[in-house]
Amino acid sequence: MNTDTIYPKVREIIADVLAFEESEIQRDGSLVDDYSAESIDFLDLVYQLEREFKIKVPRGMIEQEARRGLSEDFEEHGRLTDKGLEHLKTYLSEVPEDRFTPRMQVSLIPTLFTPETFCKIVLREMEGGEQAASD
Amino acid sequence: MGMIFRDSGIAGRTAIVTGGGRGIGREIVKVLAAEGADVTFFYLNNRGAAEALLAECGASGFNVTAQPVDVRNAEDCGRAVESVLGRTDRIDILVNNAGVLRDNLLPAFTEDEISDVLATNVLGVFHITGVVAPVMIRQRGGAIINISSVSGEKGGKGQTNYAASKGAINAFTRALAVELAPRKIRVNAVAPGLIDTDMSREVRELAGDQALDRILLGRYGTPAEVASVVCFLASRYGKYINGEIIHVDGGFKMA
Repeated sequence: MNTDTIYPKVREIIADVLAFEESEIQRDGSLVDDYSAESIDFLDLVYQLEREFKIKVPRGMIEQEARRGLSEDFEEHGRLTDKGLEHLKTYLSEVPEDRFTPRMQVSLIPTLFTPETFCKIVLREMEGGEQAASD
Repeated sequence: MGMIFRDSGIAGRTAIVTGGGRGIGREIVKVLAAEGADVTFFYLNNRGAAEALLAECGASGFNVTAQPVDVRNAEDCGRAVESVLGRTDRIDILVNNAGVLRDNLLPAFTEDEISDVLATNVLGVFHITGVVAPVMIRQRGGAIINISSVSGEKGGKGQTNYAASKGAINAFTRALAVELAPRKIRVNAVAPGLIDTDMSREVRELAGDQALDRILLGRYGTPAEVASVVCFLASRYGKYINGEIIHVDGGFKMA
C-alpha cells in the first residue's frame, strides 16, 4: 500500500470537512492557505480519518515526530532553528520548498500541511506507526 | 398565531446524561426521553437507582439505556462514548450533570475533599466533552449543556471547592461555546440554586430557614424544574442561545 491508494478517500474527507469540491483539492495544496482550514477543521479531519481508516492518530503527532532526534535544537524562543528547519523539510518532504521560511514560528507548522501530509499520516498509522512519515 | 411549544425537535435525537441515576440527572433523563430522545445515562455506582430509573422509563415506553461510567477516568469516558456510538452512530445532546459535594471550611479540607470535587465536577466534564465534541463537530451540530450551580457565582460558606469547580464550569462553557460555534454546536450551562435532592439535603438542613429566606420565591426548587430548562436548551426553541449560564434558582442569586 502507498499514499496513492489512500489519497482518493483522504481527498473526499478533506473536501467534505472544508466544504470544497473534490476536484478543487490539490494534493500539494496548503490546507490553511488554499482551503482556509482552521484548528477545528484539523480536529474534524483527524477524527474522520481515524474512523474511516480505523486508526488512532496521537494528538500533536506531526510536531513531535518532526522534533524527533533534535530535542531542544529544534526551536529557539518559539521559532525554528536552522537545524529545525532542515529537519522539518525532511520530515514534511511533500511540502513545496518555497513554503518553508527561515526562523518560522513553530505554531505556524500546521500552515504547511497538505492533503499528502495526511495521506502519509494515515499510511504510517495503518502500518502500525513504524513507517516514517517522511518516506 | 399557533402554539409556541409543541414539537421540541428532540424526538429521534441521541442524548447522553452523566450522573443520570439520581436527583436532577434522573429528571433530565426522564424529560428528554419523554420528548422522544434515545437517552443513555451514565452512573457511577448506584446500580439500584439506575435500575429503578430504567424500569420506570421502560414502563413509560421510553428509549433509555444505562451505563456505569466513572467520569474521573478519561479512558473509561472514551470507552463509554464509543459504546454509545456503536449503538447510535451519533450524539446530539450531551448533559454534563455528574457532580459531587464535599462541603467544609477551607482550613479543614482534606486533600480528598478538594480533589474529589474537582476531579468529578471539572475533569469529568473535560473527559466526556473531549470525546463527544469531535463527534458533534463531524455532525456539524449538537447541544452541550453543563450543569453548573448558583455557587459558581454566589459565595457560600464551606463551598470553596464546589464553588471553584462550578466557576470553572461557567468559564469552560463560555470558552467552548466560542470554540464550537463554527460547527453549529451550542454550549450552555444551567445553574440550579437550592434544589430538593438527596445531594443538597445536608446543605438545606444546615442552612434551614436562613436559606429559604434568601430565595425570592420562598421555596426550594424541584429537579423537574431544572430538567425543563435543560430540555428547553436542547430543544429547537433554544437554538439561538449559546454560551449562556441560565440560573434556575427562584431568585436566590439576587437576594
